[in-house]
Amino acid sequence: MAGLAQPNPKPEKPAMPDSKLNQPPGPPPLPPRSAAERPLGEDPNDRAPIGGAIGVIETVLRHPRRISFQLAQAHATGRLIGLLLTVALGFVAVYGAIVGSFSGGDQWWAAPLKITCGLAVTAAICLPSLHIFACLSGSTARLGEVAGALCGALTLATLLLIGFAPVAWLFSQSTRSIAMMGFLHLAFWLVAAGFGVRYLKSAFQQYGLRSESGLNVWVVIFLLVSLQMTTALRPLVGPAVKGHFLPPPAEKKFFVAHWIDSLDDQADRTTSKGD
Amino acid sequence: MNTGQNQPAHFALGPLLRGEATVITGWITRWTGGHLLRPAALIVAGAGAFGAAMGSWRAADQALYSAIKLPFILLATAAGNALVNGMLAPLLGLNLRLRESLASVLLSFALAAVILGAFSPLMAFLVWNLPPLRPGVAVTAMAHSVMLLTLVTVIAFAGLASNLRLRQLLRRLGDSEAKATRLLLAWLAVNLLLGSQLSWILRPFIGSPGLPVEFLRDGALHGNFFESVFHSVRQLWPD
Repeated sequence: MAGLAQPNPKPEKPAMPDSKLNQPPGPPPLPPRSAAERPLGEDPNDRAPIGGAIGVIETVLRHPRRISFQLAQAHATGRLIGLLLTVALGFVAVYGAIVGSFSGGDQWWAAPLKITCGLAVTAAICLPSLHIFACLSGSTARLGEVAGALCGALTLATLLLIGFAPVAWLFSQSTRSIAMMGFLHLAFWLVAAGFGVRYLKSAFQQYGLRSESGLNVWVVIFLLVSLQMTTALRPLVGPAVKGHFLPPPAEKKFFVAHWIDSLDDQADRTTSKGD
Repeated sequence: MNTGQNQPAHFALGPLLRGEATVITGWITRWTGGHLLRPAALIVAGAGAFGAAMGSWRAADQALYSAIKLPFILLATAAGNALVNGMLAPLLGLNLRLRESLASVLLSFALAAVILGAFSPLMAFLVWNLPPLRPGVAVTAMAHSVMLLTLVTVIAFAGLASNLRLRQLLRRLGDSEAKATRLLLAWLAVNLLLGSQLSWILRPFIGSPGLPVEFLRDGALHGNFFESVFHSVRQLWPD
């Protein structure tokens, strides 16, 4: 069997160098931390600058930790909050125009104006309680960082609304049912707000949040305020009422009562048309 | 009392809200009279904002009156009970000095006031969404119930959060869970006694559409809170 070359037996390497064999066994190495668990700024990706409105959109979607890191830099907080808020309000104004397109006329300008102001006021009145809930849950975020995290969440939510806008526009051109359109916009808002909340929770994890229960309570408050805002600023979907930009004081309602009334009106109209 | 001696005495809202016991203990043990101004200012701002939001349902004057009265009740309760609270602490096993017990109570009131203040924009939004509480405007029972329920929830939450933090602090100061709970309950009892009577005297806070807006009711000093509760309970029983 001369053709079969015998492989040269290689000397076996010891599994561990001798020096290490004599060492006492240490604890098993810690598993590598995921990117989300690392402290802010440890990953060079966190420290990359955020440029302009396009940069903000890209960052909110793909690198949310970068926003948290930038917000933690005192000199950059104000500018970044301004940028996030401008983008969020710009997006929601565009979506407001889609909402107004259902009825047209004065609603082309009234709906975007009301929705934009409504979102800004909702954020402003819910910000102090967010800061309190976050601090009570152990967050070390300053008020500026909390405001920035909220603006980031709103930017993401309104960005998603822009994503839904073509679908909303198509429906608004092909249906005459106010209740149906109201339900559709509400569904889009809840989906978008859900992603915003996820962003917010992730941001607060980086600020040392110990428990999410306080934040969950705040989310309920925020959603209630945003839903009540849609009733307080009505009409948003239906046609504008001449001489009444906002409902008169005698017609103030809770949003659930308004929804029930709207559904009753819709049912009455359908019955009278004999559909 | 050596705990927290190395902590800075600088008062800040964040550690108070997070209940950072070491930092807060540091403030309390190193406090002087001047340090009381910061929590007092927080009480004036936070409880004042909440009082204004609450009173604005009736009228602007009522908002102003409630903005003055609500912080006054908290500050007067802390001041009026300072002596008895300071005495109860050593009697119940916590060797706190008078100013330490006053600072502890004042900090817990400040925390409650800050929470109330944070909720005041939400209260104002709620009031804006309710029919005004004025003569001639029909206010539904539902609107009343929503207002009442919201007020109770917010005030209960603020009270609960501040007392839980106070209990943590007392446990830290006294190194004993049982002593901390005992002292907290004793302080709660005396503060409730004085606070509820002060609230009774200084009523109204929201007002009534059938009565004029005024700082104090005509019979402010007639009767007391517990008498009123007793009469209300008696009315539930048939003669």
